[in-house]
Amino acid sequence: MAEIKLKLKKTHKFPLEADVISTDVFAGKSNDEIKALELYLGNEVVQLGEFFDVTGKSGDANELKIIIDGDVSNVKRIGEKMTAGEIEINSDIGMHVGNQMKGGKIIVHGDADDWAGAMLKGGELIIEGNAGHYTGSAYRGFWKGMEDGIIRVKGTIGNESMLWARNSKKANKWPILYCGAAGSFLGIHNHGGTIIVEGDVDRCAGADQAWGTIVIKGSVSRKLPSYKKVGEVKEVELPNGEKIKGKFIEYSGDHSVKKETNGRLYIAA
Amino acid sequence: MVERKIKTVYDVICPFCGTLCDDLEVDVDNTTEKVVEVRNACQIGTAKYFSSNPSEHRYEKPMIRKDGELQETTWDEAIDKAADILVKSKRPLLYGFSSTECEAQGKGVELAETLGGILDNTASVCHGPTLLAEQDVGVPSSTLGEYKNRADTVVFWGCNPVHAHPRHLGRYSEYVRGYFKKDGRNDRFVIVVDPRNTHTAQIADLFVQVNPNEDYELMNAIRATLRGVEIEEEEVSGVPVEKIKQLVDILKKARYGVIFFGMGLTQTLAHHRNIDTAICLIRELNDHTKFLITPMRGHYNVTGANQVFSWNTGYAYSIDFSRGYPRYNPGEFSSVDLLMRDEIDSSLIVASDPASNFPADSVKTLFKYPLIAIEPHETPTSVFADIVLPPQMAGIECVGTAYRMDSVPLRLRKVKDAPGDCLSDLEILERLLEKVKEKIGE
Ligand code: SF4
Repeated sequence: MAEIKLKLKKTHKFPLEADVISTDVFAGKSNDEIKALELYLGNEVVQLGEFFDVTGKSGDANELKIIIDGDVSNVKRIGEKMTAGEIEINSDIGMHVGNQMKGGKIIVHGDADDWAGAMLKGGELIIEGNAGHYTGSAYRGFWKGMEDGIIRVKGTIGNESMLWARNSKKANKWPILYCGAAGSFLGIHNHGGTIIVEGDVDRCAGADQAWGTIVIKGSVSRKLPSYKKVGEVKEVELPNGEKIKGKFIEYSGDHSVKKETNGRLYIAA
Repeated sequence: MVERKIKTVYDVICPFCGTLCDDLEVDVDNTTEKVVEVRNACQIGTAKYFSSNPSEHRYEKPMIRKDGELQETTWDEAIDKAADILVKSKRPLLYGFSSTECEAQGKGVELAETLGGILDNTASVCHGPTLLAEQDVGVPSSTLGEYKNRADTVVFWGCNPVHAHPRHLGRYSEYVRGYFKKDGRNDRFVIVVDPRNTHTAQIADLFVQVNPNEDYELMNAIRATLRGVEIEEEEVSGVPVEKIKQLVDILKKARYGVIFFGMGLTQTLAHHRNIDTAICLIRELNDHTKFLITPMRGHYNVTGANQVFSWNTGYAYSIDFSRGYPRYNPGEFSSVDLLMRDEIDSSLIVASDPASNFPADSVKTLFKYPLIAIEPHETPTSVFADIVLPPQMAGIECVGTAYRMDSVPLRLRKVKDAPGDCLSDLEILERLLEKVKEKIGE
C-alpha cells in the first residue's frame, strides 16, 4: 500500500478547510503537487505545503493510505467525498470529517467535531473518541442523510445524529451507526437507518421515525409518548443479519408519523 | 396668517415589531423636527418614534475611538477607517440587519460577498430554528388578513403577544372583527400553550400549562392522539392525557385554525425540532380541517432580512462567503457559534445590539476585535465600538421596504428629518462598499 504522511507544522487561529486531503485527490500526484493543493484559511487561499510536511509516496486511490499527525482538531472536511483507500488521523479532528464519503475507510484516534460522516454514502468511518452533533446526519434542508456505509464511534455522539437516514432495500443499502452513547433526537426522521447504542441516550430517540431500527443497550432519559410497547425480546436481529443478544423491551413507532409502523425502538429491559 | 407648527403624517407603518401596523398618525413639530405625538401605536411602537428625537443617547455625528474615547469625526475619516478594518480582516462578521429596511440589507449582502466575510441576521438568535424546520418539513402558512377574516380557532404557543406584539390581537388574531368573523372575539376560540400563565393566557378560552422545555413531547403526544393512537402514559409534559384528548378534539373541530408561535418554542430546548413537529402537526390537522401556522417575528424587518438574504444568496441567515460563494450552515457559520469558538477578527454590526442578547462569552470575543457599529443610539454594543456610523432611522427619517411577519412587504414612510449628520443605512453601506472596493482594487 502506498503511503503519504502529513504532519501539521503550524498553528492557525481560523479553521483550515482541507477537503483536498483525500485519497482521490492525492492519487497519482507527486509530493510537490500535493504541497501545491489549495486550502482555505478564513477568506485566504493557502497552500497545503505551508501548513503540512508531506512525506512518502502516493499511488492509486484504492491502494493509498494517508496518515495525518499533529493537532488537526481545527482542520475541517478531511476525506470529503472520498471513494477508496484509507485515512488515519492521529489526533482529534475538526468538523465534517468523511462527509459524503462513498468508499474506503477513515480512522480517527481521537474525538471528531460536528457533522462527522454527514450524508455518508458508503465506506467506514471509525472514531475512537467522542463525536459531535449531527454525526452521520443530513445537511440542512436535505431529506436524505446517510444512505449506506458504517459509522463506529466508541464514545458519545452529540444531538440529532443520523438525522434523515435513508435505506434502500432495492439497492441493498443499509446505513448503520454504532456508538457508545448519544445525545437527544437520535435518529430523528429516520427512514431505515440502523442505530446501535452501547449505553444511554438523551431524550426523544427515534422522533418522527418512519421506519428503521434503533437498539439502546442502556436507558433513554425520556422515551417519546408516541412509542407503543410491543413486548419483550431476548434477541434483536438487524437488517444486515447481525444478532444482538440481551433482554430488550420492543416499542413500535414513531406513531406520530403513522398509526401502523414497522419502525422499532429497543431499550434494555 | 399664523403658520401651522405641527404637521401630521397619516398611514404610517410602525417600524418596531413584526406586526408592522400600518395605521399610525404621527405629529411632528415643523420647526424642531421632533415627534410630538403618535396615535394608534402601542406603547413600544410609540416609544420608538419618540426615541428618534435628539437626546444624549442619539448619535448625530460619526464617532471614532481615539485614546480610548469615542470622539466625533468626519464621514470621510470614519468610512475610510471602517473600510480599512474590514479589508484587513480574514474573517469579518457582518451581523444584524433586522431593524433596517430591505435596500440596506441588500447592500449588506454585497459588502459581505466583496469582503469574503460572514453574513448573519438576528434570526440567528430568534426564529432561525423556524427557518431550519421549514427547510426540513415545509410550511403551510397564510397572511394575517386571512386569519383575521377566517380563523375561528387561534393557538398561541410559546408567545405572549399582549407584551411582545401588543396590537396583533386587536388587528389580526383575537378581538378584531373579520369579514366572516363578524362577532370578533366571540367568534374565536383562543388557546394558549405556555409554561407561564401569561397575560395572553389569562384572556384565553383554554390555557394549557406545559412544563418548561417539554413542548416537543406534548406536541408528539398530540400528533399520536390525532392519529388515533392511545397514549400509554397518564400525563405528558405536565398535561393530563385527558386534556390532550380534549385539545385534539377542539383542533379537529376547527373550521379554520392557526398556530402562532414565538421564542418559547424556538429558543427552548429542542429548538427547531419544536417547530418541525408543530409544522407536522399542522400537516396532519389538514387531514381533518384547514389549519395553518405563522411565526411571531420580533424585529420589524427580520422577515425582510431573511427574504433579501435568500433571494441574493439562496439562504436566509448564517452565510459564509469565505470561499467566494455563499455557503450556509447554522451551528458552523452562525454568529454566536463563531464567537464562542473565537473565529472572527472584526465585526460590522448593523441595526442591532448583540451585546444585550448574546451569551456573555460570545460578547467578550466580539469586543476583542475591531467593531464598527451602524447604530442610531447608544447601546451596550455601540459603547464598545471602535467606529460608530450614525444612521437615519428607517421608517421615521427615511423610506424603505419592510416585510411583515407573514412575508407581506410594506413601504415605510418618512415623517421627519434625522438630527445632525445622519445618513441612511443604505447610503452608509454604499459608501463603505465603495471604499472597500477602492482599497482592494476592484
Ligand atoms: S404592535 Fe408592533 S408594529 Fe404595531 S404599533 Fe406596536 S410595536 Fe408597532
